[in-house]
Amino acid sequence: MLEVDDVHTYYGESHVLQGVSLSVEEGETVALIGRNGVGKTTTLRSILQLAPPREGSVRYRGEELVGLETHEVARKGLGWVPEERRVFSHLTVEENVEVATPAEADVGAALDRTYETFPALERFRDKEAGDLSGGQQQMLAIARGLVGENDLLLVDEPSEGLAPQIVQAVVDALREVGRETTMLLVEQNFPMAMDLADRFYLLDHGEVVASGDTEDVSRDDELIRRYLSA
Amino acid sequence: MTGIEPALLAAGDAGPVVASLLSDLLDVGTLVGIVLGALSKAALYVLIAAGLSLIFGLMGVLNFAHGSFTMLGAYLGGAVMVVLVSSGTGPYARIALFFLAMAAVFGVMTAFGSAVEKRLIRPIYDRQPLFQILLTFGVVLVLDELVRIVVEVRGMQPRSDWQEALGTAPGFLQNTITVAGSTTRGLYMFEVLIGAMVVAVTWGFLTRTRYGLYIRAGSEDSEMAQALGIDIRKAFSVVFGVGSGLAAVAGVMLMWDPRFGASVPLSTDALLIAFVVVIIGGLGTFRGTVVAGLLVGLFDAVTTWLFHSAYVDFAGLPEMVMFLALVLVLIVKPQGLFGVEEVGGH
Repeated sequence: MLEVDDVHTYYGESHVLQGVSLSVEEGETVALIGRNGVGKTTTLRSILQLAPPREGSVRYRGEELVGLETHEVARKGLGWVPEERRVFSHLTVEENVEVATPAEADVGAALDRTYETFPALERFRDKEAGDLSGGQQQMLAIARGLVGENDLLLVDEPSEGLAPQIVQAVVDALREVGRETTMLLVEQNFPMAMDLADRFYLLDHGEVVASGDTEDVSRDDELIRRYLSA
Repeated sequence: MTGIEPALLAAGDAGPVVASLLSDLLDVGTLVGIVLGALSKAALYVLIAAGLSLIFGLMGVLNFAHGSFTMLGAYLGGAVMVVLVSSGTGPYARIALFFLAMAAVFGVMTAFGSAVEKRLIRPIYDRQPLFQILLTFGVVLVLDELVRIVVEVRGMQPRSDWQEALGTAPGFLQNTITVAGSTTRGLYMFEVLIGAMVVAVTWGFLTRTRYGLYIRAGSEDSEMAQALGIDIRKAFSVVFGVGSGLAAVAGVMLMWDPRFGASVPLSTDALLIAFVVVIIGGLGTFRGTVVAGLLVGLFDAVTTWLFHSAYVDFAGLPEMVMFLALVLVLIVKPQGLFGVEEVGGH
């Protein structure tokens, strides 16, 4: 479904991604793990062409994304749940969903689906998103990423800045979403990533240094010690 | 300074002056006069600033050419009126032609603004804001000089208001009317009507249309809006065009107002007003611009009454107080009254 092949991305002269390659198959949840600053978020931004790669290719359902504008990539069915949620704080919950709904799609149906998946949001439908709690905003960010029948959800640090009891609710929501939607998940919370994902890629210094099934890495203490401990 | 009674300045005599001021201020006629003056000024200020606010809100571009677009609108609107209005044109026909001129100027300047965005500003989006400021300042120099050349070729004085255009206003707008014991020009009430109409249409566009929703979302976080499938570059062109069109509509209105009139210096006057209102309201918030326009209009009307007509005549003070208010807001609340902290980049 998604193939990232030898991607090199720079911020100015800084060579952030140094040949990242990974793939995500339809229906699976893949975790991208690694310490702070190794290029996890940049990988998602490169897929979305927010940080266009200088070299390499990103193919979605066989179609090359490098060279497209970000809005064109999004319209192909890629949803993004960014770090720190980034809901539109001065728009209401409904407007946040509406703004993500493609012009040709039915807003009412998108809202129905949102409230079906996240019933807690319906109560706040007319409330400005900036007034929601962190957990509610995360739910809204995930709901917004799913609008428009997106097939692939890129989720970036969904547990960041949330209280532990809220994190569990987010994990449950993502597990539910993962049953129907393919996900590429960036997460520093190692147990959470392993809990949700089928496979993993471990990133270090802008390169993939290990990959495999999550069940295997859970037991690989040496790997965790070398690459994930601070 | 003229007009103040020297005896009232003597030490110990401040009490009667203050009492007299308060008594005058509580007079219904005075209050109505101040409110009408405030509304008329506010309508003009909001008209002038609305486009700048929209453009900065979505694009983060501080368009120094905004005042020049207002000046161009004043001349273009004036040209339409001077060509189409004759001495035999009736008052209602003049009003109809005014709306026609407004619509035509809005269309032309919206297209012109979009072209400026696509050809000049778009190539430098990735650079620092200083480049955009310098570029739009360059547009000011070119446009102002071009207009100066054209009006001088036509045998007109670029620095004085275009009297021929001022004279196309119907008589009932040029005359004074009495409202609750206070006299004002009919034109000023017409300006309130036009200002209210433009605010209502812009507000409706922003809050009731899908494109307005895109603009509000993009104003808060343009990168996130792109990642949701919104073509933000296209939105930039549309908003820069509409913002320029609104600036020009303000110019068409000012072309009839004897306090302004079509002239080359209108470019600078309009830009300063727009900056004051937009910064006080909070850069990039339309609601803030409307509220700031009302506040500055009220401030202006009160200080005009206080310093210009009631007891003393400090003609320049109302304007100075307006800039003092700007300085005060910048110190106390630098993001403005309704300032939005932007999250994403452009």
